[in-house]
Amino acid sequence: MQYALLIYEDETAYRDENGRAWREIIAQHQAFAAELVEKGLLRGGAGLKTTNTATTVRRAAGQCGLHDGPFAESKEQLGGFYLIEAADLDEALAWARRLPLAGDGSVEVRPVIDGTT
Amino acid sequence: MARSLLDQAARTHGGRVIAALAARFRDLDLAEEAFAEACLAAAQAWSQTSAGGGAAPRDPAAWLYSVAQRRALDMLRRRGVRTRLVPDPPAPPPSAEEAMIDDARLIPDERLRLIFVCCHPAVAPDARAALTLRLVCGLTTQEIARAFLVAEPTLAQRLVRAKRKIAEAGVAFEVPGPEAWPERIGAVLSTLEIAYAKAHEDAAGAGQHAGYAKEMLDLTAVLAELLPDEPECLAFAALVRYAEARRPARLDDGGTMTPLSEQDPTLWRRPLIREAERLLHAAARCRRPGPRQLQAAIHAAWCDRASLDEPAPWSTVLALYDALLTWRDDAVVRLNRAVAVAEVAGPAQALAEVDWLDSVAFRDFGPFHAVRADLLARLGRRGEALSAYDRALALDPAPAERSWLERRRAQAATSPESGSRGGIAT
Repeated sequence: MQYALLIYEDETAYRDENGRAWREIIAQHQAFAAELVEKGLLRGGAGLKTTNTATTVRRAAGQCGLHDGPFAESKEQLGGFYLIEAADLDEALAWARRLPLAGDGSVEVRPVIDGTT
Repeated sequence: MARSLLDQAARTHGGRVIAALAARFRDLDLAEEAFAEACLAAAQAWSQTSAGGGAAPRDPAAWLYSVAQRRALDMLRRRGVRTRLVPDPPAPPPSAEEAMIDDARLIPDERLRLIFVCCHPAVAPDARAALTLRLVCGLTTQEIARAFLVAEPTLAQRLVRAKRKIAEAGVAFEVPGPEAWPERIGAVLSTLEIAYAKAHEDAAGAGQHAGYAKEMLDLTAVLAELLPDEPECLAFAALVRYAEARRPARLDDGGTMTPLSEQDPTLWRRPLIREAERLLHAAARCRRPGPRQLQAAIHAAWCDRASLDEPAPWSTVLALYDALLTWRDDAVVRLNRAVAVAEVAGPAQALAEVDWLDSVAFRDFGPFHAVRADLLARLGRRGEALSAYDRALALDPAPAERSWLERRRAQAATSPESGSRGGIAT
C-alpha cells in the first residue's frame, strides 16, 4: 500500500538568524529520504515553502474567491509530505515516528487511493 | 434442540471462527458475513439431521468454520470482478480422518491477532471495546449497545466506521513485534478492562454475559501465555480470575447483591484463585510494578480470606489503594479507596474524602451515591442518606444491586437520626 506522510510543524522554528536549523533539518530529510530510496520505498514527496507564500482558492456556491494565506491558520502548518510504500499501517507509522522534525509537530499518515478499487 | 446447539456453538466458538476467517482473508466484514451465512446454513442442516434422528455434527465449530470458509471464497469470487484480491487456494475438504479429530483444533486460534487489530491505536478508542466484544466475544450489536448505554444505531455506526478504518488504512492482522508492545499492549489491556467491567457488573452472570466472562478468562489466558514477560498482562489475567472466582458468592439466595466484605469465602472457587495467584507471582517476578499488579493485589488480599471468621483485610486494601493512586489518580480509584478509609479511619473521614471528589462528574454514577449514602447513614445523617439512596436508585441499577440498595435504604429509614447530636440536623 502507499501512504502519504503529511508533516505539520510550527514553521517559525526555522526562522533563526543564520539558517542553521533549516540546514540541519534539510540534512536530516536527505538522510531519511536516502534510506527510503535505498529500501525502494520512496514514491514521491516535497517540502513546501512557508505559508506566507500560500494563496488559497476557495470555491463556494460556484464562485471562486482568492485569499492570501493557507487553508487554515493554525499553530502547526503543513510543511511537506512523503509518499511511501509500506506493507501495512504499522510500517507506515514506524516511518512517521522516525521522520525528522525540528521540535514538536505532527505527522498525519494517510493511505493513498490505489486506483484499483 | 438444533437451534440451541447452534446458538451455543456460535456463542462459544464464534470468536475463534471469525478470528480465523479474518486472519485468512484479512477482511473483517467478509469474516462476519461468512460466519453469519454459515450459521444460517447450520440452522437448516442441523435441524434436518436431528429430525432424522441423527445428531448435529460432532464438532459444530469445525463445521461452521469449513462452511464459512467456502462461503467467504464464494463471496470473494463474486467480488472478484471488482477487486484483484486473490486469497490462498481453498483448503481441500476435511478428510474422514480429520473430521474425526475432536474439538476445534482444526481451526487456527487467531483471536490474539484479532484482538490486536480491534485494539489498534488507529481505531477510535470508543469503538475498540465494542469491536472486540462484537468480533472476539460474539456479542450482538444490541447487547453491546445496552452494556455501553448507547443507542443501537449509534453503536452500529461506530462499528462500521471502525471496520472501514481498519480495512482502508491497512491495519495489519499481526501481533506486533516486541518493540511496539508498550504502546500496543496498553491499548489492548485498557480495552479488555472496559470489556471486562461490563461482564463483571452483571453480578447475576445470567444470560449472555456469563459466556462473555468465560471468554475473558480464555482471552486473558491466551494473552498471558503469549506474553509471559509482560507483568501487566499477567496481572490482568490474574485480576479476571480473582473476580470470577467470587462470582458464586456475589448474590444471596434471594438474588440480592452481597458486598465483597460480606461474601462467604467458602463459596469462592479456589482453583481459579490458585491460578490467579500463580499469574500474579509470575508478574511480580518480572520486577516491573504497574497499576494492574496493584489492582490484582487488592483482589488477592480479599481472596486470601478463608472464611467470614477472619477479619476483612481493610488496612492492606487501603495501603494498596494508596500505592495505586501513585499510578492512577482517578476519581473511581479514590471512591473505592474511600470505602476502605471508612473501615480503617471511620466514616467521617471517608465522607470528607468522598465529598472532596468532583460531584458533577459523578452525578450519574450510581456507586458514588451508594457509597455516600452508606457513609451518611453510618454517621446518623438519615435524611441525607435517604436522598443519596434515592439518587442511586434513580440511576437504574441492575436488579441485584437495586434490591440491595432498597434493603439498605429501608434499614437507614428505620434507624434513629443522630445528626442532631452532631449538630448538623437535616
